[in-house]
Amino acid sequence: MSELTAPKPEPDTAQSSLWKDAFRTMRRRPDVIIASLIMLFVFTMAAFPTLFTDKSPTRCIGSDARERPDTWFTGEHPLGTDQFGCDFAATLVHGTRPTITLALSVMIVAVLIGMVTGILAGYYGGVIDAIISRAVDVFIVVPLMLGAILLLSLFRGRGAPDNLFETVAPPAIALAIFGWMEFTRYTRAATIETKNLDYVTAARCLGAKDRRIMFKHILPNAIIPVTAVIPTTLGSIIVAESALAVLGIGVQPPATSWGVLLSNGTQWAAGGYIYLFGIPLLLLILTVFSFATFGDALRDALDPKLR
Amino acid sequence: MAENLRIIGDTLPGVDMNAPLLEVEDLRVEFKIRGKRVPAVRGANFSLETGRTLAIVGESGSGKSVTSQAVMGILDSPPGYITGGAVRLHGVDILKQDEDTKRGIRSNHIGMVFQDALSALNPLWSVGFQIGELFRVHRGSSRKDAKKRAGELLDLVGIPDAKNRIGHYPHQFSGGMRQRVMIAMALALEPEILIADEPTTALDVTVQAQIMRLLKEIQEERSMGLILITHDLGVVADVADDVAVMYAGQIMEQASIHDVFKRPANPYTKALLRAIPRVDTLGQELEVIRGLPPNPASLPGGCSFHPRCWAAEEKCSVEEPPWASVAEEHRSRCHFAEEVYRNER
Amino acid sequence: MGRYVIRRLLQGLLTLGIVLFLLHYLMALSVQIRGNPAILFFGGDRTPPPAMLAQVEKLYGLDNACYDRPGDPCLVPFVERLQRYASGDLGTTLNGNRDVGDLLAIYIPNTLRLFIFSTLTLVIVAMLLGTWAARHRGGFIDHTVRGTTILIDSVPVFLVLLAYVYLAAVPLTNWARDIWGADTFMGEVFSPSYDPDHPWTTIIIPGIIVGTVGLATLTRLVRASQLENLGSDFVRTAKAKGLPNMRITVVHVVRNSMIPVVTGVGYIFAFALSGAVLTEGIMNIPGMGRMIFQAVQRQEVNLVIVGLTVTAVVVVIVTLIVDLLYAALDPRIRYE
Repeated sequence: MSELTAPKPEPDTAQSSLWKDAFRTMRRRPDVIIASLIMLFVFTMAAFPTLFTDKSPTRCIGSDARERPDTWFTGEHPLGTDQFGCDFAATLVHGTRPTITLALSVMIVAVLIGMVTGILAGYYGGVIDAIISRAVDVFIVVPLMLGAILLLSLFRGRGAPDNLFETVAPPAIALAIFGWMEFTRYTRAATIETKNLDYVTAARCLGAKDRRIMFKHILPNAIIPVTAVIPTTLGSIIVAESALAVLGIGVQPPATSWGVLLSNGTQWAAGGYIYLFGIPLLLLILTVFSFATFGDALRDALDPKLR
Repeated sequence: MAENLRIIGDTLPGVDMNAPLLEVEDLRVEFKIRGKRVPAVRGANFSLETGRTLAIVGESGSGKSVTSQAVMGILDSPPGYITGGAVRLHGVDILKQDEDTKRGIRSNHIGMVFQDALSALNPLWSVGFQIGELFRVHRGSSRKDAKKRAGELLDLVGIPDAKNRIGHYPHQFSGGMRQRVMIAMALALEPEILIADEPTTALDVTVQAQIMRLLKEIQEERSMGLILITHDLGVVADVADDVAVMYAGQIMEQASIHDVFKRPANPYTKALLRAIPRVDTLGQELEVIRGLPPNPASLPGGCSFHPRCWAAEEKCSVEEPPWASVAEEHRSRCHFAEEVYRNER
Repeated sequence: MGRYVIRRLLQGLLTLGIVLFLLHYLMALSVQIRGNPAILFFGGDRTPPPAMLAQVEKLYGLDNACYDRPGDPCLVPFVERLQRYASGDLGTTLNGNRDVGDLLAIYIPNTLRLFIFSTLTLVIVAMLLGTWAARHRGGFIDHTVRGTTILIDSVPVFLVLLAYVYLAAVPLTNWARDIWGADTFMGEVFSPSYDPDHPWTTIIIPGIIVGTVGLATLTRLVRASQLENLGSDFVRTAKAKGLPNMRITVVHVVRNSMIPVVTGVGYIFAFALSGAVLTEGIMNIPGMGRMIFQAVQRQEVNLVIVGLTVTAVVVVIVTLIVDLLYAALDPRIRYE
């Protein structure tokens, strides 16, 4: 050994090839491709509703109320009109944005809280770990739905919301407060596992700072189990939102979301206007199913030994 | 001890006690991987007599473990399939028996010791249960009786305080003791053959020698046939009677241990021997076989060892060498076996 | 082991204490912001004479001045509350003035019944499907099981319940009554709503439907752990021992696969509590979920705190049982 050569940092190459491999396996599966297309469709609908409908969901003509969609996807009202005479297709398309915004923001907040607390608890242990673990316990013993109901009922705003943020914020905050613990658990477990690996010990011996170790070595490992559950979580947030809406404490009408549409739809479904219930239901199931299928495949791809 | 007496024909119909204990003839195993057929064993031939020890030596991936699993009938299929050949136990081809008979042969006639006892024992059951299970399934013993027999076996393989350790779980034993448990389990039904697949690889050097000695003692005491599978010629030097050297799914050379060490007739064997540190070569640099073992999915044409062989000529890459005798009880698979044997190459 | 249980119980008590305080603080905030719920006692609309209001406030422990100061954690009433709970007095409801302890005696068994059926459904179906899928790994059956369970899990369970109540329950009941008669088990089981005369029979169907929550996750877990065990070295040893396939599966695979399943069930249990709210509402089951929801709506401070604390106690106990089962199933785990 005449010269010291720095060996290539193996964990990093292992990481990038894990993601690359995962992407490659996912790309080959037809169910993943279909699920991705549906997800793309839904996201586009949320981002650019005007691409899908040229009508405004707020322009309602009472005399046109409850027109059945006899012409299916064509004509004046492609999906008929709702109980107030608003174009149902427009209502549905414009209801997508709050639903998706809510799901994404809950997810982002929950993942951020979860990862920060998880890494802190796992890395430092001791008192910090004890406090965070106790907090996780406290929030876990109050089931998500009950916690959200409690918060939303107690602090229900009285005025009608007039922008997207005010529409989405209350249910989003409630769901995020009771939804971050899963991510803390995963991150904490991954952090503890990674912390004791030889190359992290080596990095620490070489005098790497805590923050550097956390970002360079632990975060890439901790992010894997978290990523694997994100799509499925998005799906379950959408479901939870609809449940809150049906209970009357989620997104508040006149603002719309899929949950609000479903909640309205239940009143009309039995009276023969089943499309008012069926179409949003179908859209919701399709979306949640796509998220779940994608998430299932992602978990397989990121944890190949379980395939 | 009348209950210990058993008649071999009970569990193996059609047995011929004059036939060799175990004969493996042209055994072929293939793996089906993503629709491709990959040969793992390409015609293995060897035989084993009562009371003798055969060492099957080869690098990892040479097909030695697959051979033993195929003989034992525990190959995972898919992906592995036996595609040809015969395995004769007391003259009976066990590959042709029905499932129930095959099941009876395992552990009644052939016992097996695996490399890593920690993963080869079920972590959730006590060792007493796992040994006793054999008596309960194959002999119909009562729970109590099975436990007693398990204790006797643990004592036999030299586990101190055996009686009190029946209820212990695998993780409560040290590596060497665990391997003894494995051996006790393989011996439980007094098989005529014991296959030990790298029995000492996972152990400390000092413990390795103890386990080897134990295997040898038991083998002599019961005059069993013992097949030792290993990648380390040095380990088997003072235990084995015969050696079969495997490379890329084929047996390259088979002879008595003495002949193999003194007059190898195959360049591969020679190369392996040069890689063992020895007292008489002290101070010299050990030779390393250059290159890597071939990928079984794309074997080189002709002799599979020719790309790494120091004696290879043009012929070797075209023509497959024959399985030929160079002396009595000494066969080799090499175009130049005679010359290598006479040390002219 | 004993010390471990005690430590866990103490931890659980600490958790419950924090939960109690947070709930109390939340409810106090709500009273401070939204106004005093004691008005409910008078029907909600009329303005009662101040003297009577004061009396009622005193009756329900809402007379402390802290309830008029937003943000005040109201520690004095909190301590009083804990003292009352400790002496076994769970208080009365504002609406109807009923004893909360008596209410719980009715509601808890109903919710437990619901959980018994849903947990049984979940575990049995997931074990069967997971085992089946593992046996046919990578094949048509594997993909079908996976797709179907994900689809079932994607449909919100309260919508399935609604669909059942509005569309399926009545025809099924009529059909069953035609064949077996009205007062038989079959005549009752499809009933669209809970019937207090048949507390077990009429909870079976909602229990089964709630049992589909988490089906995909658990099936996946069962399948993965079985695959891991089927390919393990000790199963190869078991084969080398000449054990029959049935025995290998039952003795050497199923027990090993139970460990992740137990964890999964414990985890899903907390979700099932969420499901109880809507299920009990839709099926008219007088259970904890419905009680808590109504209490929240009516701002029944005491009832909300008691109800949520009971669910918290249940979750703490279930988690402890799961951990102890874990040790019972796996001798490598020793708690000290």
